[in-house]
Amino acid sequence: MVLGLFRPKPVSPRLERLHSLFLFVNLTPAELAIVDGLLHERDYCADEVIFDEGEEGQAIYIVLDGRVSIRREIDGKPMVLAEMEAGAVFGDVALLNNAPRLAQARAAGPCRLAVFFREDFMTLLDTHARIASKISLQIARTLANRLRDVRIAPQTSQHL
Amino acid sequence: MTTNHNGPGPVVWAGIIAVTCLLLFALQKMLWLVVPFLLALVLYYMLRPLVQGLVLRGMGRDGAASAVMLGFLAVVGAGFALMLPRLATQLVDGQSSIERYMKGGINLLERSLRMLETKWALLADAHIAETVVHRLNNLGGDVATHIEPLAMGIAAWMPSLLLAPFLAFFFLRDGQRFKRFLGSAVPNAFFERTLYLLHDVDRTARAYFQGLIELTVLDTVTLAAGLSLMGVPGALALGVICAVLAWIPYVGSILGGLLVVLVAATDFPDTPVMAYWAVTLFIFVRLLDDFVYMPLTIGKSLHMHPLVTVLMIFVGGAVAGVPGLMLVLPVLGVVMVIGATVGQIVTDPRLMARHRHARLLRRQHASLDLN
Repeated sequence: MVLGLFRPKPVSPRLERLHSLFLFVNLTPAELAIVDGLLHERDYCADEVIFDEGEEGQAIYIVLDGRVSIRREIDGKPMVLAEMEAGAVFGDVALLNNAPRLAQARAAGPCRLAVFFREDFMTLLDTHARIASKISLQIARTLANRLRDVRIAPQTSQHL
Repeated sequence: MTTNHNGPGPVVWAGIIAVTCLLLFALQKMLWLVVPFLLALVLYYMLRPLVQGLVLRGMGRDGAASAVMLGFLAVVGAGFALMLPRLATQLVDGQSSIERYMKGGINLLERSLRMLETKWALLADAHIAETVVHRLNNLGGDVATHIEPLAMGIAAWMPSLLLAPFLAFFFLRDGQRFKRFLGSAVPNAFFERTLYLLHDVDRTARAYFQGLIELTVLDTVTLAAGLSLMGVPGALALGVICAVLAWIPYVGSILGGLLVVLVAATDFPDTPVMAYWAVTLFIFVRLLDDFVYMPLTIGKSLHMHPLVTVLMIFVGGAVAGVPGLMLVLPVLGVVMVIGATVGQIVTDPRLMARHRHARLLRRQHASLDLN
């Protein structure tokens, strides 16, 4: 009976959904359950500001539903640099350091986001280093992809 | 658009101190809940790493919290069962022991005052030893009458103390859900800042309570080592009692010191120098505590100016007596973090503008098909 407590449990649809996200694709169900306990879900209206350029970043965002546009003022004119679809991750630089946000994020339509707070991630590094390292690897891959995009289309990247 | 990171201004500070005083005043009226709550927080921060370890091994959070709490209660129960025979013997002759220690203390005081009288004619003329001993003997005669209400008070407190493991279990099981629940009640514009606030409150409380546990262990070990070197019986038990009493600033330390001196004076009636050595040891440990242990443990948790800390301890004592002394630092630590964050949010015009914009968007969205 005691051993039964440690037996793998059926994965809930919510965890399956989390597992399908690029950031958490390498996590086991038990690890996903721990990360799920740290994620916050937020709903935004169309055109609502998620974060501002220059603001100190405290969290990484994952688009669960809807679309998010990444904007930046270039030569005094607001420019849309990228549109994030469901499954995309943005604000990831904030997870790594205290740097100010490099662009503004705004809901392009009604959207639902999962928010992963930086301090929760830092705690995860101490308490569950294995989970944190798997997430870090995925963030590194995201950044590497973005670097590759910079080489292909420099004017539309560097947005976060 | 950048955020304002200046420290709290004078108005916010005045608010922080006023709210701390109000909270202390309110909390002293419900000590029966506050004390178990604080003990539950200590338990929570002690047991949380074990729960996290079990969760990582694949156990659900509910099961892990239950297993850890049951394990803790089993350890406490086993310890209590082992100590019960000895505790029962102590309780049976508890009253005579207290009277014996009181008498030992009075004898030491009388001997010390008589020695002073031989050196200071002024004290001899005032019959200081005779007067003081006479007054203390009169007070000592009432010890028995003080013990009964004290014992009744302890018996009345026991049920509320049993709340501590119960509360700690729910903190362990639902702490993260509660944090998410609080976060969900905050508007989007303030969400990141509020997350940081919740984290900072948690960090401050964890550092404070873990620091308190570390400080208690360090005090216990130092006092017990010193007392056992002196050959005082029950050195470890005395060390634990003094270390726990030191949780109450000033008053607790005085009580602890008095206890150590009484034991040394009674158990070594023919060598008063032992009592003086006990006083020296206690003062040494207090200095070590204030200048080495405290900055290494609790001091670094609250990030407070030492002057503010000392002043607030006096304010806490004036507002809420002994409970105020005990509660003022953790309450001030939490109020300070909340006050500073709320101050940052309401004085940030961009965040307020974003919040108004979001409310407008929601109103428009809600009435889209009504116009």
